[in-house]
Amino acid sequence: MDAILSVDGVSKRFGGLMALSDVSFAVERGVITGLIGPNGAGKTTMFNCVAGIYTPTDGRIVFADGAGERNVAGSKPERMTTLGVARTFQNIRLFATLTVLDNVRIARHCRTSANFFGAVLRTKSQRAEEQRIIDAAMDNLDFVGLGETALSPASSLSYGDQRRLEIARALATDPKLLLLDEPAAGMNPRETEGLVDLIHAILSRGVTVVLIEHDMKLVMRICKRLVVLDHGVKIADGSPQEVRSNPDVIEAYLGKGAAHA
Amino acid sequence: MRGAANSLKYLLLAAALAYPLMPFRDVYVLHVLVLIMVYMVLAMGLNILPGFCGLLDLGFVGFYGIGAYTAGLLTVHYNMSFWLIVPLAVINGALFGVLLGAPTLRLVGDYFAIVTFGFSELVVLFLTNEIWLTRGPLGIPGIAPIALDVTWLATLLGIDERWRYVFRGEMPYYYLAMVMVALVYVVMRRVEDSRLGRAWLAIREDPMAAASCGVNLFAYKVIAFAVSTGIGAMAGAFLARWSQFLSPDMFKFWESFLVLCMVVLGGLGNINGALIGSVILIALGEVLRVVLPKLGLPAETRFLAYGLIMVLIMRFRPNGIFTQVAESTMQSRLIKDLRARLDARRTA
Repeated sequence: MDAILSVDGVSKRFGGLMALSDVSFAVERGVITGLIGPNGAGKTTMFNCVAGIYTPTDGRIVFADGAGERNVAGSKPERMTTLGVARTFQNIRLFATLTVLDNVRIARHCRTSANFFGAVLRTKSQRAEEQRIIDAAMDNLDFVGLGETALSPASSLSYGDQRRLEIARALATDPKLLLLDEPAAGMNPRETEGLVDLIHAILSRGVTVVLIEHDMKLVMRICKRLVVLDHGVKIADGSPQEVRSNPDVIEAYLGKGAAHA
Repeated sequence: MRGAANSLKYLLLAAALAYPLMPFRDVYVLHVLVLIMVYMVLAMGLNILPGFCGLLDLGFVGFYGIGAYTAGLLTVHYNMSFWLIVPLAVINGALFGVLLGAPTLRLVGDYFAIVTFGFSELVVLFLTNEIWLTRGPLGIPGIAPIALDVTWLATLLGIDERWRYVFRGEMPYYYLAMVMVALVYVVMRRVEDSRLGRAWLAIREDPMAAASCGVNLFAYKVIAFAVSTGIGAMAGAFLARWSQFLSPDMFKFWESFLVLCMVVLGGLGNINGALIGSVILIALGEVLRVVLPKLGLPAETRFLAYGLIMVLIMRFRPNGIFTQVAESTMQSRLIKDLRARLDARRTA
């Protein structure tokens, strides 16, 4: 398997609580992997470890960006973004008072370089860069279907569109790996359908997708591989069919004895 | 409506430019107007921290004081030219900004505010107690006024004269202050609509999301601190050569609070708001200075009025007078082009 991300024995402890203990799995390049599990299983904690928000207490996270492999455990979030790992948030985190366009323009930060003096003097290269930022931002907004709303405030978008804007913002950082934290949460069936198309379009841009999702129908439909966490421990991984019939998984979701019922 | 607002803006600017030349001009009014402009620079400088980055800075006056004393001491001891002193004071202010910011900007919220407050008190204590350098509470009197010496230009042109203009009275300072305000204004507008300004606003809106967009939070906060404190020090350098006297109690905590009130009143993160806030609070202060004694109250009660204004603002207009952030962004040419393109697309 050509793994873009290998999580190797990662643990995360918050005081006395083991949010993750000795979790290992690999994410295959170019496919959709789902990270599932009951509430409080440690899924978002796992994302935060990969995205650099948390430093794992123990273990390695190896990111292979095509050029080489490196252990990125404990890297800063901005470093992970520069390396090519982008993410969205479970509870939408947009820059609410700024425009839709500005939300996406900020995401070009890690791919641009103008500084204070460039901004004040408005040098030729700074102006050219600003134009490139706008073009890239508009490309990404058109990609998710929000191009028309570019100059409206981000807070004026509908809930589903705000989720799309978060995806556009993440894509604007030119990621190789995209982590989606509950992208379908709060979406109506039509919006979810649009999301499925969007995720497939993202995949065809050569971006590997990992998603946390509670909508099992969606997960079973689009994920090629699943990793199941429960109480910070990996209890299963494999294809959706394998995972669905795994007794540990059924027990975790439905309670003890359910597997035999 | 927009056209009317624009005409009003230009009318005000023309009136401001013409006022000192009018026969009915008044030295006291000129003095107050210069003071307003000094505070405009301070408010625009402070606005970067709470306005753009969401960092509550209660110690801004410390950097104002550092700039003022840098300018004052360099003038008294080395008789340096004002035009050389300004960049030195800005650099010195920014340097202290980085020195304070680097260890403390990892703190968040109230903790950061308390540290900045402590710093400004330290500056006042230093200025009061290090008598060998600052003459302590006696202050520094007799700072030379600003002089513009272009004798070199005369020499270059082969004219054997001394082309030296010394700033006397309020009028030259008035125009110089206007230039300073315009300069800082343009710089702030340009920074606001740039990669740097957007990174700051992202930090204000959501630090975690900003970091996930690739913004190095710490580095960009330190840059914000350096720019902000540099501008504060610039206002201080002007103050030193304009008032020609400095003493530690010109840089008490109240000044920080006053500038912060201006920024909050005008609208956090809005550059025009910082200007309006300065006009309102300084003008009000002068009015109260006259009115309060007539009512048999000490002049210090004006701080009660400031407090009352803040309470009213929080109650009725919590986002300040101008609520729009990143205003200049919307007026940039690139965005206007984009808007035209979007409109064309919509009609097509």
